Amino acid sequence: MRLKHGSFKTKKLQGILLAALLAVSASACQKNTAPDHTSVGQEDGKASETRDSVVIAIGSEPETLDPTQGWGHGNSPIVQSTLVRYRADLTFENDLADSYQLSEDGLTWRFTLREDAFFTDGEPVKAGDVAFTLETAKAAQGSVDLTYMEKAEAVDDRTVEITLSQPTSIFLNTLASIGIVPEHAYGEDYGRSPVGSGPYKLTEWKPQEQLIFTANEDYYDGAPSIKQVTVVFMSEDAALAAVQAGKVDVAYSSATLGTTQVKGYYVEAIPSADNRGFTLPVLPNQGKTTQSGAPIGNDVTCNLEIRQAIAYAIDRQLVAETVLNGFGCPAYSENDGMPWNNPEVKIETDVDYAKKLLKDAGWADTDGDGIVERDGQKAEFSCVYPAGDSVRQAVAMAAAEQALAVGIKIQVEGVSWDEIMERMFSEAVMMGWGSSIPNETYYLYRSEGALLDDFYNPEGYGSDVTDRYLKEAMEAPSAEEANRCWQKVQWDGTNGTAMKGACPWVWIVNLDHVTYVRDGLSIGEQPIHGHGHGLPLIQNLKDWTWE
Amino acid sequence: MRLGNRRKKLILLTVVMALIFIAIYAFGILIPEEEIAGSFLEARRPPSPSHPFGTDALGRDLLLRTFKGLSVSLTVGFAASAVSAVIAILVGIGAAAGARWVDGVMNWVIDLVMGVPHTILIILISFSAGRGLKGLLIGIAATHWCSLARLIRGEVLQLQSQPYIAVSRKLGKSSGWILVHHLLPHLLPQFFVGLILMLPHAILHEASISFLGFGLPPEQPAIGIILSESMGYLSAGLWWPALLPGLTLVLLVLLVDNLGEQLQKLLDPSSAQE
Repeated sequence: MRLKHGSFKTKKLQGILLAALLAVSASACQKNTAPDHTSVGQEDGKASETRDSVVIAIGSEPETLDPTQGWGHGNSPIVQSTLVRYRADLTFENDLADSYQLSEDGLTWRFTLREDAFFTDGEPVKAGDVAFTLETAKAAQGSVDLTYMEKAEAVDDRTVEITLSQPTSIFLNTLASIGIVPEHAYGEDYGRSPVGSGPYKLTEWKPQEQLIFTANEDYYDGAPSIKQVTVVFMSEDAALAAVQAGKVDVAYSSATLGTTQVKGYYVEAIPSADNRGFTLPVLPNQGKTTQSGAPIGNDVTCNLEIRQAIAYAIDRQLVAETVLNGFGCPAYSENDGMPWNNPEVKIETDVDYAKKLLKDAGWADTDGDGIVERDGQKAEFSCVYPAGDSVRQAVAMAAAEQALAVGIKIQVEGVSWDEIMERMFSEAVMMGWGSSIPNETYYLYRSEGALLDDFYNPEGYGSDVTDRYLKEAMEAPSAEEANRCWQKVQWDGTNGTAMKGACPWVWIVNLDHVTYVRDGLSIGEQPIHGHGHGLPLIQNLKDWTWE
Repeated sequence: MRLGNRRKKLILLTVVMALIFIAIYAFGILIPEEEIAGSFLEARRPPSPSHPFGTDALGRDLLLRTFKGLSVSLTVGFAASAVSAVIAILVGIGAAAGARWVDGVMNWVIDLVMGVPHTILIILISFSAGRGLKGLLIGIAATHWCSLARLIRGEVLQLQSQPYIAVSRKLGKSSGWILVHHLLPHLLPQFFVGLILMLPHAILHEASISFLGFGLPPEQPAIGIILSESMGYLSAGLWWPALLPGLTLVLLVLLVDNLGEQLQKLLDPSSAQE
């Protein structure tokens, strides 16, 4: 009897210990993947007497290295090279292209390729490869949108002619993000074992662990000075721990962790167009659903005064200073600071004006609970964000707190991306966008793109005026002309997508990409980063140097 | 004398436990939502008189959050343990008093459930039951009954060979009568001890599953959520969100475990007379 009881109790205690141990060890497995694969990095570090290798920790693994499937989208694909590329000031320079002309009607582009470009398997880069790449990307219908391209064909080995169905001012931007793939070496698993003509070649890819790139010694622009690059994937806090242990040379971090000083490293806060803000459904809830069955519309956020009141209630500077520890700045649009941004989109925080907007529209707090209501409808709605994203959570909660001050209650909920896809058409989302190309404005606001699953326009915004400006911008003959039209999309004096206009988005902050860099390493002149969990960092790898 | 001591100690402990339980529940329930919401201007404050446990990265007071979390943990723990203990007693009696094949099946099921590590099994069940409070409750309730069931089965088997039960049978009493009048009264102490010893186990499981992200949603103030959030800031030097709520959880669990032990010693005939 006693024995039995004894064993029962020990079992229980063992069980308790086991549960605690399991929790600890499971979390350890989750977070401690870092030392395992950074041990490679440490060896590199020791060998770096010669200093020609770096270990980089970034947040997420690319899905593929195939540019036709989206690799390099908005950045530059370091394994492949592109026809044209960005300078740090976002103007274009020739890369694979030697020269190019555009026909009078704006429909036919003719590129001449340079002669000294070779794929890493020794084959020269030919016009046929360019045509093949563009046709493949168009057929793939991935994140590279080439629906406006009629055809791409090689005229001879060095000349490629691309015909568009409509003049497209963003075509060069698109080309700058499509790495050219070799027709002769392209197959099913190209995304995992790519061959390209870029400054680096892929040497090893261990899924969920690391990518190793080595310098392409035959690169036509001169071999890069960093010979070996190991990219490891880890969460922000694991990356910080790896920095503290001296195991990585460069680590992507976050605004919440970047205030930690680490000896032997400096923190580089790279400005970005990576922004955070609320998408607010502009349609009322009429019981409709999307094709996948997700409900559409929200009876609170469909009111312009509600969206604008939130926009005016938020003190963006305060959020940037406190929540982001100063690693960020107020955001007023999807492209603050870009040549195609309209400075007029800026608004000043004005709580009284926000209250007035609500009051004028008939919203009042009649039951004294601090939340305004109208016709029995409380100004209350949910905002979802991907659980685990601490920055989005903190920004959303800070914004919600400020919205509550004018009587609007935003319930912030962390959920999975799958759930966000079901709820984003009928509830607010703490969304992130931002890229250094104007294409984004087009995708965010075109009415054709409303309520698609691509996260661009879940709020259901669409306007004839906006569509007209977008079309004009796309068809503009010059970049300057296009920029003027992009600006009018945002605000033309009376209408626009800006917060003082139709306000489908309430932009809050632009994040700096906080990066730890080992003393002595220069990561070059980083172009303004787009949205991405550390990947934009490596786009100018070829300019990195050790002192 | 010693018996008196132990009884006194136990009664005292029970009263203290009951008070703590009620206090935590009441405190947790009485904390209004707005208090927990905190303010982003107050983020990352170390422990101070106004915030004894400090505030977390989102500016929420950790003391309030911890106690709100504990009240959730206790609810989950209690509900899951109670369901589990009831399952255990049904299965235990069924196995021992039923036909041979019933016993065989029950033992096979017990072996099956015990053969899989609890945490993994709870994750699976919780995940397929839709996570959240419901998933956790089902998960914990469905996994914690085995050892108690086995214990009760053994007890019943032993009881059935006792002379007084054999006499009852010879006197023509039905199985149901014997169950209600002889078996159940004998099993009640085991049931309560098992229930109380199961509670800390269930609380820790709730915390660890939430910690791993398969339990309660991230807005819910729960110890597991607080601890898992705190991990992200440990490397940045925020020690208080991990240490203080964690310690509170350990203390509560130790207290409950101690109560169970005392109760067991007292109810167990072989040690009760010491």
